[in-house]
Amino acid sequence: MSVKKYFQDKWVFLFMALCWLFFMIGLLTAFRINCSLCVILVILFCMMLSAGFSWDIMRKKRFFDEMKHNLYHMDQKYLVLETLRQPSFYEGELFWQTLYECNKSMCEAVNDYKISVEDFKNYIEMWIHEVKLPIASLGLMLHNGESGLSTKYREQLRRMDQYTDQVLYYVRSEHTENDFLLQNTELQKIITKVALKYREDLLMHEVDFRMEQIEQKVLTDGKWLEFILGQIIWNSIKYRAAMDSYIRLSVEEDSEKVILNIYDNGIGIPAGDLKNVFKKSFTGENGRKYAKSTGMGLYIVKRLCDNLGHRVEIQSEQGKYTNIQIIFARNDHFFRGTP
Amino acid sequence: MKKIMIVEDDRTMCQELKILLETAGYEAEILTDFERSEKRIFDSQADLILLDINIPGLNGEMLLKRIRKKAEIPIIMVTSRTSEVDEVLSMSYGADDYITKPYNPTILLLRIAAVLKRTDQGGREGVERYRDLSVNSARGVLSGEEIEIQLTKNEMIIFQTLLQKQGQIVSRDELMTNLWDNHEFINDNALTVNISRLRGKLAEAGFPDAIETRKKQGYLLL
Repeated sequence: MSVKKYFQDKWVFLFMALCWLFFMIGLLTAFRINCSLCVILVILFCMMLSAGFSWDIMRKKRFFDEMKHNLYHMDQKYLVLETLRQPSFYEGELFWQTLYECNKSMCEAVNDYKISVEDFKNYIEMWIHEVKLPIASLGLMLHNGESGLSTKYREQLRRMDQYTDQVLYYVRSEHTENDFLLQNTELQKIITKVALKYREDLLMHEVDFRMEQIEQKVLTDGKWLEFILGQIIWNSIKYRAAMDSYIRLSVEEDSEKVILNIYDNGIGIPAGDLKNVFKKSFTGENGRKYAKSTGMGLYIVKRLCDNLGHRVEIQSEQGKYTNIQIIFARNDHFFRGTP
Repeated sequence: MKKIMIVEDDRTMCQELKILLETAGYEAEILTDFERSEKRIFDSQADLILLDINIPGLNGEMLLKRIRKKAEIPIIMVTSRTSEVDEVLSMSYGADDYITKPYNPTILLLRIAAVLKRTDQGGREGVERYRDLSVNSARGVLSGEEIEIQLTKNEMIIFQTLLQKQGQIVSRDELMTNLWDNHEFINDNALTVNISRLRGKLAEAGFPDAIETRKKQGYLLL
């Protein structure tokens, strides 16, 4: 609280006091009161006035300074009231009461919103489990009634499954902090699972899948990583080179981290788009020119990686290659702890 | 014939699963009534159970736990719940494998075969034989009395897949799935090349027409 501004605000009161002072001096002189008595009266008046002001300034300054300080340092500013004592002056009380009411309704509104988001998330999770059943049934039917068309039908089914998974992991990445389980996981096992899942697409589009010797274990959630890799490989298939296309997975490591490289010799990404590919709803040149894209895939990948504590980076040259790196931090304590 | 029990509440899914399993040479039974499911499962004397987690009136995990308390029947959880927590829980309750829907039918069959093989042998490596050749998969060789044929890893996987279903047609899809499951991500051309090489090696051993090609269906080991 600024003292200068405080006095500026009180100018009417100060002006009246000054008027009263001159009037009093005038009155005292007119009645020929002893000069030293005059001085004493004036001094007394000024002292009492400033004492009154000091007391008022002090209590207000204490309250407002504390408020300002807390407000500045707080993350959720709307909760500032919880950190303040109820003030002892009238305007303060009014102000505090109003804030209290605002705060209460704000918290209620935030809570309602949280509950509705949570409900929605639960509904989506449930719905996706439901919709997986017909997808699985159709897959089985196609397998059982093998016909010339079934390869094409199966491809469409896998697309459907891919899109439902995207919704599931979008919801998971946006609205949950603790929906995953970090475990010491064999990278090769996850990669093989993903490769098996996309095998028919890879073979159909003649994209070779190459994996170098990978023996590392990383601390991650297997299911989430499966989705992340699936998403990346799906993109590589979508934006493949016209011929001799391949995807190559390899690992580099040092004492601090394990880096998984997913390299493809596809159409690549224009330099101007590269820094935006992890942004929500970004489609870029490739999304417009080639396969249609929602711009959500890599965004979800990034979100999931952030949640899991992995770093994800991308290098690319248009017409030559795209390389996505997932960087897992090494936690030696953890690795020593488990045989 | 191995008997497989399907515990699943979706009717269409059950029927299709049954057809799939029967085509693959298993006997399949559907658990239709979930009242006293535990007793029914034991009465059926199945060799393996495919168990869905969300069964009406009963939690699949609880059922899994209760079956495990009494018997060692192999159980594969088949579920649409795709979180790592669910999988870890199921495995810790004693499931033999955990597969999420929608699955590739060929992969499901592969897993079933793997679990059955594991429980049959009780962990021992059995000695496989093809006519008068014995198969040593660890060393990658087929050995007869006077001859030893070296197979590559790919050829060995293909040969073993064919051998396990000797006399039946094995589709390219099945061979591919098995190869990829063993981290050999080869393409269609490579599969064709591998099979002709395997044929050549078997011919050297004195079995020139061991592998028959069935157009649009697959291969057959005689």
